[in-house]
Amino acid sequence: MNLLNLSIAQMFDFAAPILFAALGGVVSENAGVVNIALEGIMRFAAFFGVWGAFIGKNPWMGLLWGLLIGAAVGVLHGYISVTWAGDQIVSGVAINVVAMGIITYLLEFVFKTTGYSPPVPYFGAAHYRVHIAFISKIPVLGAFSNLTLLVWFSLIAVGLIHFMLYHTVLGLRIRAVGENPHAAETLGVNVMKIKWFATILGSVLAAFGGISLSLGTLSSFTNAMPMGKGFIGLAAMIFGKWTPIGALLASLVFASAQIVQLLLQGMASGIAKQIPLGFYLALPYLLTIGALIGVVGRAVPPASDGIPYKKEG
Amino acid sequence: MKALELKGITKQFPRVLANDHINLSIEKGEIFSIVGENGAGKSTLMKIVYGLYTPTSGEIYVFGKKVNMKSPHDAIKLKIGMVHQEFMLIPRFTVTENIVLGDEPRKGIVFDFKRAVKEIREISEKFGLKVDPLEKVANLPVGIQQRVEILKILRRGAEILIFDEPTAVLTPEETEDLFKTLRALKKDGKTILFISHKLKEVMEISDRIAVLRRGKLQGVVKKEETNERELARMMVGREVVLEIPRVKVERGPVVLSVRDLAAKDHRGILKLKGVSFDVHAGEIVAIAGVEGNGQMELVNSLIGFTRPVKGKIILNGEEMKLVTPYNVRRKGMAYIPEDRKRRGLVLPFKIRENIIMGQHTLYPFSKGGILNDKVINQFATKQVEEFDIRPRDIYISAGNLSGGNQQKVILAREMAMKHNFLLASQPTRGLDIGAMEFVYKHLIEEKKKGIAILLISLELSEVLGLADRILVMYEGEIVGETVPEKTNEEELGMMMLGIKRNERLVQ
Repeated sequence: MNLLNLSIAQMFDFAAPILFAALGGVVSENAGVVNIALEGIMRFAAFFGVWGAFIGKNPWMGLLWGLLIGAAVGVLHGYISVTWAGDQIVSGVAINVVAMGIITYLLEFVFKTTGYSPPVPYFGAAHYRVHIAFISKIPVLGAFSNLTLLVWFSLIAVGLIHFMLYHTVLGLRIRAVGENPHAAETLGVNVMKIKWFATILGSVLAAFGGISLSLGTLSSFTNAMPMGKGFIGLAAMIFGKWTPIGALLASLVFASAQIVQLLLQGMASGIAKQIPLGFYLALPYLLTIGALIGVVGRAVPPASDGIPYKKEG
Repeated sequence: MKALELKGITKQFPRVLANDHINLSIEKGEIFSIVGENGAGKSTLMKIVYGLYTPTSGEIYVFGKKVNMKSPHDAIKLKIGMVHQEFMLIPRFTVTENIVLGDEPRKGIVFDFKRAVKEIREISEKFGLKVDPLEKVANLPVGIQQRVEILKILRRGAEILIFDEPTAVLTPEETEDLFKTLRALKKDGKTILFISHKLKEVMEISDRIAVLRRGKLQGVVKKEETNERELARMMVGREVVLEIPRVKVERGPVVLSVRDLAAKDHRGILKLKGVSFDVHAGEIVAIAGVEGNGQMELVNSLIGFTRPVKGKIILNGEEMKLVTPYNVRRKGMAYIPEDRKRRGLVLPFKIRENIIMGQHTLYPFSKGGILNDKVINQFATKQVEEFDIRPRDIYISAGNLSGGNQQKVILAREMAMKHNFLLASQPTRGLDIGAMEFVYKHLIEEKKKGIAILLISLELSEVLGLADRILVMYEGEIVGETVPEKTNEEELGMMMLGIKRNERLVQ
């Protein structure tokens, strides 16, 4: 595999966790529920994924555990912010803080180690990859010849969520609830049910993101996970204007910044070498600020995004 | 046949009894109006009929059958539809999406947009309500948005249509269009419930009228057997002076002078195209016009929310170089805003806070950045008493007051401020008769004190009753100037629509 194909493949590896988180945000916020707990959910899922894979001795068990914990945390967020109409940001921050503490504790409790878990079976292993041998020599296209299952999942999810949001009745109702829940209610749409559904689905997508961190290219959990990937995911959601395809493009842009940085470290000369590493880490946020202030056409969130909904009377 | 019957409907909210044993029976195919002051319980009653509120007690019969509604979903199934005061529309969605939401044509789980568009075309044709199914609602004028709302409930097969203050947001022409639609629907055999506090409109459109006051039904009358005066008395509970007494005040020197003022709206479109006028002490100058003809830009320029493109504003003999709300207020301008909830008040703040706002940095309300609670409370208590603000509780938040009382808080604040010019922008918008009367009284008081008043109004009766001079605005220009003694509603109406112009008076 040549360097170009390798770099593109690596970009997809980097992009997958960000993309999953962004898609989680897209689904949830289109129904008007802000979920900044994406970061915490990814951390939960990354750890439980490894734990599941450790016990079940295969990554599928890890995936199951990770998704279940993601859904469970989603239920917590939904209970606070949908059923109780509590502040969505407060709930999200709380979940992130709790994730920080609990997982550090569980890591030591379960694996008796500090900082990282022992290696477990993971989706990056050769026989879990999707091999498409005949395209491997073709430039660009060859990048798709040896991707992990999770990367493929992330790309398929983009299509599925786009279809759901813009071509199904459910999607129309999700977007209606995010724009004007009172209007939806008067038309007989069950607002609470829709918000619950979107919150849980969003959390499960974020859990996929967490799992692709610990069981995608790596085969263990490190205590620094998810290293802000959840927040970069949120940035990708905004940069992508709250749409699945926008989120995909934004995630690829953000991931390519990391690849460029890796490449430059190896071969850059002259001025490129002078650009500090921090610049590439900050790039997603700089681009997001650009999107919010309207550099690439203004990013406008759903009208009722983040506003708790209470039924009248 | 009776379309709707209410028996002993009562709704108790934690602090108020909104509906008190209301009995009504509405015939199929009639236009039945319910009038009452703000807070009389009209909207609550309609929300009960639409299943948004559950009554504390009482029974509802729809087409003779007893029903028990738990949500709007139940009401829709019973063929009851409601056009809400604040439109229930999603601006970013298309007309089609807005209309079919909640009952979408589908193929499996897929939303069948093409069929939906076809359905909207058919239904729009059938009822003669023209809309473009593919247009985004955000791009539509208010009158058409309301049409979308009506189509929405017609598509659900509504037989009983509730209109909650439908004309509050409409221009006179749009209102005329709506009335045509209502009459057509009546002909179709639909039953219409029309909620309003504008008696003139009620007298024009209804067959029968029910009057509510403080949650109680005062009576049901036939249109032919009543008049505006009687309805007003039933609504308010006493004789109301609808005619504004003429007060002559010797006009003083020029206080505000505007020269060739032009301004753009927030989208950058030139809406005010070079207007000039003077306002003298002890004089009320009214700007009449259909909404959106530059009034907003004039107001914004005068208080410093918009920077004019060109022109001069001279207040008390001094040209305002940099117009900011702070500067104009220091120069003696008081302002009654058109949107009291957004511009007039901080809704979560208490009366005592709202009533000193703007003067809160001044002695005696504060000194060295520390608020003097004792002085503030004394002042607030005095003003609440003097302006009859109810409840008499300075610690209640402004958001919990009725519209009339909110306006009184604003009046109490602005009148207390040191000023000799008053900018009153639609000061009676959305108010009921009692509160309107109150505002008129205070405007006349101000005039007697020799204050110069610029009144911006959409109501011709108000303009003709209050003003000493009338300027008519059309498409950002003053197209006519007259005095109330020499004109009438028809002539003003023609000028407002740009059909007729007349010469400016020589000052």
